[in-house]
Amino acid sequence: MADATHQVLIVGSGAGGAMAAYELTKAGIKVLLLEAGRDYDPKTETPMFKRNADAPLMATSTADKNFGYYDATVDGGWSVPDEPYTTDDESEFLWWRARMLGGRTNHWGRYSLRFSEHDFKGKSRDGLGADWPFEYADIAPWYDKTETLVGVCGTNTGLDDMPDSAEGVLQPPPVPRVPELLVAAAAKKHGIAAVPMHRAVLTRPKDDRAACFYATPCGHGCSIGAAFQTTTSLLPMAQKTGNLEVITDAMVKQVNTDDSGNVNGVTYVDKKTAKEVSVGAGVVILAASACESARIMLNSASDKHPDGLANSSGQVGRNLMDSTGAGLGATIPALKNRPRYNEDGHTANHLFIPWWGHAAQEAGEMDFPRGYHFEIGSGFREPGAGVSGDFKGYGSDLKQEAIANYGASIYFALRGEMLPNEHCYMDIDPSVTDKWGIPVARFHWQWSEHELNQVAHGLSTAKTLLETMGAEVGELPAPEQAIAKGGQIIHEVGTTRMGQSKTDSVTNQWGQTWDCPNLFVMDGGVFASNPHKNCTLTILTLAMRNANWLAGQLQQGAL
Amino acid sequence: MKQSLPSTGQISLTRRQSLKLFAMMVAGATLPGCFGQSSNPVSNTAKAGHWPTLTIEPISLPGYGQDPNLIVPPASAWPKTLTKQQLDLVSRISDVLLPAEGAKPGALSIGAPSVVDEWVSAPYSGQQRDRDSILRLLMWLDEEAQIHHQQGFLSVTEAQQKAILDTIAFGESHAQAGYEMPARAFNRLRELVLAAYFCSVPGSREIGYMGNVAISGDYPGPTDEAKAHLDDVLAQLGLSEYAYTEAG
Repeated sequence: MADATHQVLIVGSGAGGAMAAYELTKAGIKVLLLEAGRDYDPKTETPMFKRNADAPLMATSTADKNFGYYDATVDGGWSVPDEPYTTDDESEFLWWRARMLGGRTNHWGRYSLRFSEHDFKGKSRDGLGADWPFEYADIAPWYDKTETLVGVCGTNTGLDDMPDSAEGVLQPPPVPRVPELLVAAAAKKHGIAAVPMHRAVLTRPKDDRAACFYATPCGHGCSIGAAFQTTTSLLPMAQKTGNLEVITDAMVKQVNTDDSGNVNGVTYVDKKTAKEVSVGAGVVILAASACESARIMLNSASDKHPDGLANSSGQVGRNLMDSTGAGLGATIPALKNRPRYNEDGHTANHLFIPWWGHAAQEAGEMDFPRGYHFEIGSGFREPGAGVSGDFKGYGSDLKQEAIANYGASIYFALRGEMLPNEHCYMDIDPSVTDKWGIPVARFHWQWSEHELNQVAHGLSTAKTLLETMGAEVGELPAPEQAIAKGGQIIHEVGTTRMGQSKTDSVTNQWGQTWDCPNLFVMDGGVFASNPHKNCTLTILTLAMRNANWLAGQLQQGAL
Repeated sequence: MKQSLPSTGQISLTRRQSLKLFAMMVAGATLPGCFGQSSNPVSNTAKAGHWPTLTIEPISLPGYGQDPNLIVPPASAWPKTLTKQQLDLVSRISDVLLPAEGAKPGALSIGAPSVVDEWVSAPYSGQQRDRDSILRLLMWLDEEAQIHHQQGFLSVTEAQQKAILDTIAFGESHAQAGYEMPARAFNRLRELVLAAYFCSVPGSREIGYMGNVAISGDYPGPTDEAKAHLDDVLAQLGLSEYAYTEAG
C-alpha cells in the first residue's frame, strides 16, 4: 500500500461511485475513479427540445435504443456491444447497463423515496429475507443530507410508508395534473391516498444547477442539471476539489490482492488500446452496479480468496433482487376530448400511490408479505410512433378518433418489493467471456408466490381504480404472465449484501467487506432487502454515509 | 425471452414478447406511450382469399447503433427501399386516410409516405414485421384491382379504389372471410400514417400537444377550463366528495 498512487480507487461513476468520490475528495482524499464507459458531457450531448419526428422511426424504441432514440443511455440498454451475459436454461433475466460517465444516473426515473424502519426490519417483523444492520434513525440524517445535496421535490405526507424529511429539505413539488387528480379521487373513494411523488428534480435552483423548466423528458438527460445525474453535479463538484482523477473507457477486470489477502489495486482493460493496466490503491471501492461489482469480486479469486474476493460467506452474487413490475391501463371515456393544456410538467409522476396496506398486512389480511406502489402513466405527451384509438375507416372521423383518445388513457405501473430467494442469484459463466476476455455474469431467476400474489393484488386493485373512473377493463392476465422479467425494472440489488455477521453477509453496515478491510462496496449490491421504493436515493445515501465513515477511518490512520 | 448470449436478434425477440405481454395487460384498452411496433405479425398462411405469399427479403443492414448522435439525428439512417410504384401506393393511401382539410395539411404534405418508407426500410425486427405485412398489402391492392377491374390499383377510379379499401378499412374483425390479412396490414399502415401525421409540427398542434416549451417559474398546472372539466368528470363519476386536496 505504500506505493499506492491514490489513497482510494473507485470503480464506477454512477450514483454510488460519484457520491463516494464527492464525499472523499471533499475531505481532502486523493481519488482515482475508473469508468468502463466513455466520457459523457450532458451540457453538449443532451437532446433538449428535440422532436420525435426529427429522430429515426419517430424516436421509437429499437434494439439499438431500447427506451427510444433520445434516451440518454450510451452503448447500453438490455445489451452492451460485445459484453454479453447469460442465463441458465430455465431463467429469464434482463440486465440494463450503460457504458458512459455517470452510468445509469443519466437516464434514471429520478423517483426518490426513503426506506423506513419498517423496510429495514422486515425479517424481524415477518421472518423473511434479511434485516439491515442499522436503524432508520441512524440513516435519517444522511437521507436529509443526500436529499439536500441532490435536490428532491416532494412533500412530507406523514404516511406510514413515507418517512418525513427534515424541515426545509424537500423542494416544493409541481402541482398535479388532471389525470392524476382523477386517479387521486378514485383512489380516495377506496381509502387509498395519492400524494406528491418525491423526485430528484430541482424546482428551485441549486449550486450550478438550474430549476426545472418543465419540458424535455428527464430520461433524455438534463443539460441544465435540474434532473439529478452525477455528470452535472457530484462529478464536477468532486473535480473542483482538485483531488479527483477520472479515467474513462477503463473496464475493470479484477481487484488485486497481496499475500495477506488485502486489496492493493485493480487491473483494468483500457478499451481504447485493449491493453491491461494495473494500478495500485490503498482502498478500493466497488460501485460498478450490483451485478458488475459482484462479477468483479467473483472474477478476483486468489489463494486467500478461493471462492472469489471477500466471499468467505458464499453470499457474493446471491440474494439478487429486482422490484416487481406489472401494469394495467385503460381508456377513460370521461377523459376523451378533454381540454388541452401543457401537461409536460416535470415529465414524470407529480402524484403517485404509495403502499397503503401496512395495517392490513400486519393484521394478516393479505396473502403477500411486502408492499408495492403505483406509478401513474397518463397525460398529453408529445406524439410519437404510437397513436391511441380504435381506428376504422379514414378521413375526418379517423382523425377525430385519434384526437378524442389523446391523453384519455391511464396506466398503473406496479413497483413492488420482492424477497430474496435461493433461486435468484448470479454467478460466473464457466464458458463465456466478453470481448475483453473477462468471464461474464450468468443469471438465475425464479419468482416466488410472494411476488405473484402481490402482483395479482396489484392488478385487481388497478382494475378497481380504472373501473371507478368509468373504464371498461377486460379479464386480468394471470400474475405469472403479467409480472415483468427479473431485472426488467432495473432495480437489481443485493448481490453483496450488508449485515450483522460475516457468516451471512458480505459487508458490514459501512459497506466494508468483512474479509478485506480495505475493500468497500457502495452500490446497490449492499442492499439487505429491496423495498418497493426505487433504489437510487438509498444508494446515494449509503454511499455518502459510508464514504464519510471511510474518510474518517483514513484520517485516523485506521486504514 | 432470452436464452444465453444477448444479441440484437434475441433482444428483439424480448421486445416482441414483452409487447405481446403488454398487449395482454392493457386488456383491450389503449395506452399512453410509444409502442410503435406491431405485436401481431401478419402471417402468410391465410386460408381464404388471396394474399401474396412470395418471399420478401429482409433488410440486412446495421441500425444506427447504440451511441448515435442525439443532437443531430441522422437524416437518413438507412436507405429507403420502397419502389416508386410502392411509394405511389402509400401516398395514395395516405391521402385517403388523412386528406388535407381547409387550412389543415394532410398526411401527404407532412411527408407521411417518406416516414412509412423509412419505417419499412429499417433493419429492426419490429419494423421488418411491418415491412413484411405492408409490402404484401401493397401487392394485394394491385391484385384486388386486377381481379375486379383488370387494372392496377392506381389506375382504377377513385370510387373503385374506395370500394376496395372499404373491404379492409374497418378492422380485421369486421372484414369478410378472406380479407382478414389485408385488413390487419391496412390497420398497421394506418397507424403509421396517423403517427407520422400527429408527430409533425402541424399534426401535433392539431392533436393539442402544447408542451416542449420552457416555462419560467413554477409549473402552472391545469387551466381553469381543464379544472372545470375535471370537476364535471368527478361529478359524473360520483367522485366529487373525494376530490384531491393537498392535505390528502
